[in-house]
Amino acid sequence: MGDRQDRSDDRSRRDTVRDTYDRIASHFASTREYAWPEVEAFVDQQTAVDEGIGLDLGCGNCRHAELLAALDGVGPVVGLDVSRGLLETGRKRAREREFAVGLVQGDAATLPLVDDCVGVGIYVATLHHLPTRESRRRSLDELARVLAPGGRALVSAWSTAHSSFDETEGFDTTIEWTLPDGETVDRFYHIYAPDEFEADLRASDLELLEWELSSGNCYATVAGDGGGGEVDAQSVDY
Amino acid sequence: MKESLLDILRCPMDKHELELEDAEYGENGDEIVAGTLVCVECGERYRIEDGIPNLLPPDMREETPA
Repeated sequence: MGDRQDRSDDRSRRDTVRDTYDRIASHFASTREYAWPEVEAFVDQQTAVDEGIGLDLGCGNCRHAELLAALDGVGPVVGLDVSRGLLETGRKRAREREFAVGLVQGDAATLPLVDDCVGVGIYVATLHHLPTRESRRRSLDELARVLAPGGRALVSAWSTAHSSFDETEGFDTTIEWTLPDGETVDRFYHIYAPDEFEADLRASDLELLEWELSSGNCYATVAGDGGGGEVDAQSVDY
Repeated sequence: MKESLLDILRCPMDKHELELEDAEYGENGDEIVAGTLVCVECGERYRIEDGIPNLLPPDMREETPA
């Protein structure tokens, strides 16, 4: 019974995140013009990709799908987001900047993709919107499932290391988004403690290759459950 | 959406293949603008709306599209 209640709360809170982004989509996208340097650096390293699609998970306006579309060797690029409004901003950007992306409305914890299809994945600033630890872990397992052998993904989440926060333990919060007319809309976040982020990744089906803190975000480079065996663990700086 | 996307899209619930029904194509013929994706295993139906497939799990979908 309690489990069912948790699941129902989880769903309704995820619906709220979707509704929020549908409402703020245009304004939000207009403030998200540029790719993150950490993502650019990761994509620049993906020179050995010769199979699989590019996946931008939680694609928003597709600024990172755009980087994937320009990468040599990668197959078609898919942009997946829970918010239909954000996907529309991604379509607009793809049209204006003339890159190809297949848009899919979906849930990061229940991916509508076949096993082992992703050569390069970007999963940034999205995991922290999933409302329960169980759903966040499930989404990491889903990412592991869809990553091809040898595929790589970059996962990021906001962390307590950011100067906005005094807390040292991970916590749930809502953060306001202010629309141009002054109206504010709440967004759910789970702010990760860095060691909690690492623990959740290690507990998942993903293989954690390396991770770092940058600009108050945790970033992890990961492989899927069947890949990454060729990486020399000694050379990886945890 | 491009029809080739169907190669990698699966039912979010049970990860089985999806069959395209009632497809409407755009003017240049290579874009599916509307239709329904049906899971070959569980029979769940997912709509393609204005060229974007809605593959949210059933309980995260809005009952009435806005």
